[in-house]
Amino acid sequence: MGYRAENLLRLFKAAAPALLGIFGVIILALPIRLFEGAIPTPIIPLVIVFFWSIYGPNYMPALSVFLIGLLQDFLTGGPLGLWAGVYLVAQFVVMSQRSYFMGREQKVVWLGFALVAAGASVILWLVMSLMSGVLLPAGALLFQMLATVMIYPLFGVAFGELHRRVLVEA
Amino acid sequence: MEFLGQDRREGLGRKANSRFVLFLLIAVSVLLLLSSLYSAQASVFKKAREGVIDAASPVLELFSGPIAYFNDVTGTVSDYFNVLEQNKALRQENAELRQWMEEALELRETVAAYQGLQSYAAPPQAQPIDAYVIGEANDAFARSMIVNAGRTRNVESGQAVVDEKGLVGRIVDTGAHASRVLLLTDIQSRVPVYVEGADVEGILVGKTTDDPSISFTASSAPIEVIPGQRVLTSGAGGVMPRGLPVGVVEGMAGDDILINLYTNYVRTRLVRIINYEFPAVGAGGAEEAPTPVESGGPAPAEG
Repeated sequence: MGYRAENLLRLFKAAAPALLGIFGVIILALPIRLFEGAIPTPIIPLVIVFFWSIYGPNYMPALSVFLIGLLQDFLTGGPLGLWAGVYLVAQFVVMSQRSYFMGREQKVVWLGFALVAAGASVILWLVMSLMSGVLLPAGALLFQMLATVMIYPLFGVAFGELHRRVLVEA
Repeated sequence: MEFLGQDRREGLGRKANSRFVLFLLIAVSVLLLLSSLYSAQASVFKKAREGVIDAASPVLELFSGPIAYFNDVTGTVSDYFNVLEQNKALRQENAELRQWMEEALELRETVAAYQGLQSYAAPPQAQPIDAYVIGEANDAFARSMIVNAGRTRNVESGQAVVDEKGLVGRIVDTGAHASRVLLLTDIQSRVPVYVEGADVEGILVGKTTDDPSISFTASSAPIEVIPGQRVLTSGAGGVMPRGLPVGVVEGMAGDDILINLYTNYVRTRLVRIINYEFPAVGAGGAEEAPTPVESGGPAPAEG
């Protein structure tokens, strides 16, 4: 492999989590309507930000998190800065507890993700309620967060394999 | 998993994820939020929104085709299981619709006779623009869809969007080739409507739940509506045409009238954007009257 190709590969590996985050946002903006809309689309970017904030913060710099969130704000049509702020706060919380999560069982990490998702829901609900001037019904948000928490183990394993075998190794 | 979290050499980007940048970007996000609170319609933000919709539309279009195909296939599979009940329901509905058709044919003749009168000025014809739903905000609070028609096809902000069942929402952002539709259930949605037969004009307000409600009415007197009455756009404000079907009255919730929408957002795929220009008052509405009658609608009857 030539020098240039190797460099390109390294660049791609470094950018892979951020690109995955952007792909997650695009999934959120598609009319997927799982089971005729019975199940909301999970918020995969939150999983990605959470996972790489623990296991590879260098792969998920704050600027990437900000841009992922901003793109989501643009595509959902909500107030700008909302999802960007939520993801950044999530990253801050996760990184402050990073030493606790390191090397723990996945069950514990899953619980941690559930707590982060709950915190994110509270922020989203508070900000949107403040901005619209009424206490909004939180049912839809909680249901979507629940779907996100339920799929976490699946994506956690997949991202773990990706991180361990492709991004860090070789 | 034991390999994870041991921080082996991590390739590119080895320098630490700086706390300072994180706090700076959180501050930027909060500033953005506050500024969008006070200047949501600022041209910079609006331009940026429209630019992003435009840039994302090819990607969304690429994915939404296969998704629609997949949804169609799974829909067909589940249809096999209740084909008998559906058949029965459809036969019954067909019988009812035949009666309606007879009535409609009769009415058409009557209307044509009236339109033949000299004093009749037909309202202008709407110019429909057909588009596909290529994107949807899967967000608990922001309810909107992205459709693949934009400024190049004369789509403008404010225009009504309908599907085969009824009103879907209105256009809020228009890119060159894609636009955003604000759904009736969004917290920001406000659409002037009236209740047929109840003499109630009001504003339909979205609440992020499935059923929006009429929250402000023109009369201060207690409102009397019967569940099942039709709700249509009133055309007040001069943006949407009058008479687009919205839904039926479901019941009262305090002072609000709950509305059950005709449209089912889970199935909305092909929509029609209604490019409607209101007749200018006093600016020669009467002189231009004969033209639309000839160009659109059924020709004047012999009567």
